[in-house]
Amino acid sequence: MDFITMIINGLSIGGTYAIIALGYTMVYGIAKMLNFAHGDIIMVGGYTIVLFFPISPVVGIIASVIFCVIVGIVVEKSAYKPLRGASPLAVLITAIGVSKLLQSAAQIFIGSESKGITVNLGEIKMGSVKISVLTLITILCSIAVMVALTLFVKYTKTGRAMIAVSEDRGAAQLMGINVNFIIMITFIIGSALAAVASVFLVFKIQDVGPIFGAMPGIKAFAAAVIGGIGSIPGAMVGGVVLGFIEAVCGMIPPITPYTDAIEFAILIIVLLVKPTGFLGKKRREKV
Amino acid sequence: MKAKKIFKKITKHYLNYAVIAAVMLVFIILAYATPMKASTSLLFQKITVAVIMAVSLSLVVGFLGELSLGHAGFMSIGAYLGGKVALVLTENGNLEASNILVFIIALIVGALCAALCGFIVGFSALRLRGDYLAIVTLAFGEIVRVIFTNSSAESFGGALGLKSPSFKTKEMFILVIIGFLLILLTLFVIQNLLRSKTGRAITAIRDNEIAARATGIDVTKHKLMVFVISAAFAGIAGVLFSYANKPIKADTFDYNYSIEILVMVVLGGMGSINGSIISATLITILNDKLTVYLTGDNAVFKDLFYALILILLVIYNNAPALKGFREKYNLRALINKIRKPKNDPSEIRGDAARWDVVPTKIEMDEVLSTDIIIEKNDRGDDSANIRERGGTK
Amino acid sequence: MRKTLTRIICLVVVAIMALGCLVSCNTPDEAVNYAENNTTIKVGVSGPLTGGAAMYGIAVKNSAQLAIDEINAAGGVNGIMLELVAADDKHEPTQVSTTYTTLYEGGCQLFLGTVTTGPGIQFKDYALEDGIFYLTPSASGDDIPSADGGFQMCFTDSNQGTASATYFNTNYKGKKVGIFYKADDDYSVGIKNNFVKGLDASFGTPVEASFTGDTAMFDSQIATLKDCEIIFMPIYYTPASQFMKQGSGTIKSDAIYFGCDGFDGIDAVAGFDIKSITQEVSYLSHFDSTSTSGPAADYIAAYKAKYPDQPLNQFGAAAYDCVYAMVDALNKSGKEFSATTSAQDYATILKEVFTSDTFVFNGVTGECVGDQKSTITWNDDGTVNKIAVKYVVKEASAN
Repeated sequence: MDFITMIINGLSIGGTYAIIALGYTMVYGIAKMLNFAHGDIIMVGGYTIVLFFPISPVVGIIASVIFCVIVGIVVEKSAYKPLRGASPLAVLITAIGVSKLLQSAAQIFIGSESKGITVNLGEIKMGSVKISVLTLITILCSIAVMVALTLFVKYTKTGRAMIAVSEDRGAAQLMGINVNFIIMITFIIGSALAAVASVFLVFKIQDVGPIFGAMPGIKAFAAAVIGGIGSIPGAMVGGVVLGFIEAVCGMIPPITPYTDAIEFAILIIVLLVKPTGFLGKKRREKV
Repeated sequence: MKAKKIFKKITKHYLNYAVIAAVMLVFIILAYATPMKASTSLLFQKITVAVIMAVSLSLVVGFLGELSLGHAGFMSIGAYLGGKVALVLTENGNLEASNILVFIIALIVGALCAALCGFIVGFSALRLRGDYLAIVTLAFGEIVRVIFTNSSAESFGGALGLKSPSFKTKEMFILVIIGFLLILLTLFVIQNLLRSKTGRAITAIRDNEIAARATGIDVTKHKLMVFVISAAFAGIAGVLFSYANKPIKADTFDYNYSIEILVMVVLGGMGSINGSIISATLITILNDKLTVYLTGDNAVFKDLFYALILILLVIYNNAPALKGFREKYNLRALINKIRKPKNDPSEIRGDAARWDVVPTKIEMDEVLSTDIIIEKNDRGDDSANIRERGGTK
Repeated sequence: MRKTLTRIICLVVVAIMALGCLVSCNTPDEAVNYAENNTTIKVGVSGPLTGGAAMYGIAVKNSAQLAIDEINAAGGVNGIMLELVAADDKHEPTQVSTTYTTLYEGGCQLFLGTVTTGPGIQFKDYALEDGIFYLTPSASGDDIPSADGGFQMCFTDSNQGTASATYFNTNYKGKKVGIFYKADDDYSVGIKNNFVKGLDASFGTPVEASFTGDTAMFDSQIATLKDCEIIFMPIYYTPASQFMKQGSGTIKSDAIYFGCDGFDGIDAVAGFDIKSITQEVSYLSHFDSTSTSGPAADYIAAYKAKYPDQPLNQFGAAAYDCVYAMVDALNKSGKEFSATTSAQDYATILKEVFTSDTFVFNGVTGECVGDQKSTITWNDDGTVNKIAVKYVVKEASAN
């Protein structure tokens, strides 16, 4: 039965990573920048949930989404927008700066000690296997989010504008697409996804600290890259791959401590063998 | 006349050597003439390590134009392997920790091992650029950290850390002097590299890899060379570090430390070696002093401040909208205004002839795209510009 | 050509000058008395006041301050007042060079060493070189104590591991044992290794699961440990509470979570309702921060009165004892000392007392029977002798 437990764990961890990775992938695909602060927006969401949890978990979730979106917009407007058109290196360094800024601000305002909540959604018995309700919700939700996002991108005007911007920003602008608006929408969706991910992470870990989002953020980026950045199903595939690696490594005690190293090693290998990831499209570099 | 010429040459090309040598001499005199406080020599020791790290990272970030987020990983390799070699040699030979010969062997081993890892990371740089390469270097740093943290107690000490030999605080000033000499060595190698044909090739790759390749520059060789040299000096800094700290713990060389060095390089001005040296020195001193004065959650104000400065500085230096402002109120322009009359022919050569002011990619882009932006001034983004520029190259 | 020549000459000259200085190296050996301008006896401590381990450092700082205020209110030591100087090492060994020199050159005479083990090893190096004495409240590493002047108020990691194993051997014979530890933490690994070594053959091979860093999704670890009847957790209370919350439905409902002194304070973790889990939570330690009677409770009451919103745990209690132990030792030494006596001279006095066979200190950590304070003695190698007690934080509750 350990095998089934492992698969379910892998899917649950992978689903959470996939939702975060979707945020990365969208921002990277459309704004062409690696938003290092994405993980820290998850942290902001986590704190919001913990803050509002005593009132009601639902209020916490809604507040988290609203607050993450606000932080996302503020960050985009103040730090990233002035640099549109500047070198990628400058944008990347700014993103790192924003990530550090959010972490230290959280420490100053909330303190370095982590804040916890106690949640227990119970279990469902399926044959001889016990599955926690949260795990099920996580898996279902991540699939739902992926499907919804795919539909949104494919069948709405804004979604198609997003594809256009990601393919050729200049041409998109000539076609009358407001590029800045589309990038803003992308950040809003990305931050909302971060908030959703923070819900799962907080309900699972039940404890939030200032660097709560940093590691899941980096790993989710790895997932996005492994799956192929810019590709929505790719984010899902990458997330599940990392989730399974984590689940398998967690079950084999001697290699558990090396989990992170193994994940990152796989990232490097994938990048070297197939830089576009599993499902990414190859892009010709323009001269 | 001749003396004046030599003096001019020194101030232009060798000023940083001279300043560092002077600081070193003052330090030596102080160390021998007065009983030096442990805090002073320990602080100097940290500065030497930080300067070597910043200068070596500056080579990758400022001149090759690739972001490395795993520079601390190379330092970790140097510290662990150099420390291990020193530990084995001193224990088996019952030597003093401050044995200079052992130190030199450790230094060489640390530098070589780090250089080897630099080669491996540099290898991935051949296929990847920009954000992808940044994430690979980050991954590399994390892998190194995880491996050393989980090593067995006999090999590298594992979670308990490697108890490598280190200088006593009373002898720490020797390590500082060696550190100063190593800074001079670092400068010697990196500056001469940058001022040679190779250096110009490296900056050409940064400014436009495809164009550089088209002009016959061996991109593979130069990229690998930069990563190897940069990693080797990080390894040297690691060995210096291992000789001053006990135990060496892999957690010290984490992502945050890599970022700290990056902050030094960015604050010093990308593409400026002297800037990196100055900012590394100032930040190390500031960190040291602030540790004492800022305690509790207030200590985080330091990080907040650095992050804010980092964001503001990068935006100030790179935002397309601030270009006019930047040209008007620029520190270097200000200095030039004070120093020289306007119509000095030597200034017309532009900064390309000056080794310490290599135009950054951002500047090049702006130079090439200015006209286009002015002509079609309703354009806020760059994509059309890229297209246009492609035609001009 | 000329250029190269100038360059080489420049370097050679500098190198020769520097090497010349190196060869003739000899340093002034006389120790400087940094305390000569003191008006109080300064007590120095280096601990994490920022970052993830801040709760331990803050508890130590507050408790030491509490003890010092109490002593000063009672007239000080031989009429001399005490003063606390705390430096923030952020739980990083690299910070110790700053904190140690700040304390030592700032004129501190009595040292509580460091709060945590990692920085403690560096602190020990510096301290022994300068010939000073430290009594650390909570740096439990096996490398921390030293016959040359490094003493501990807490048990060493190996002692904790062995003591826990002995307790298991006598009380939990034949049960299925699991271990959950933090693989990149010296405290956790140190205890775990000695625990496994001390466990007798009847337990077979214990099931091990580990985590690193801030990994806080414990699904796999919980799945590995789900059949264990007793889980030994040599970790601190924050990850432990996360594990318990996440595992509450999967881990055997009548299992026992058995911790070490890092568990102290687990029932006070914000947002962790310990009653929401069914398993028993116990730990073997020298202090119980939920005591309601005896000397420990008096300390807790005084602490809570002074620092109502600050972390309270065994680290603080040990620091409180440390200050009293050093003052007690100074009083019992019968030696002359003043506010300007150097740290080295204090070290000589304290070392003599702490290594003497007759020195017994009565404190709030260890086993307090009724209103009696515990008895604490030290071995010559710096390790402590006191009785560890098993505290049950929460009984198993069936539901």
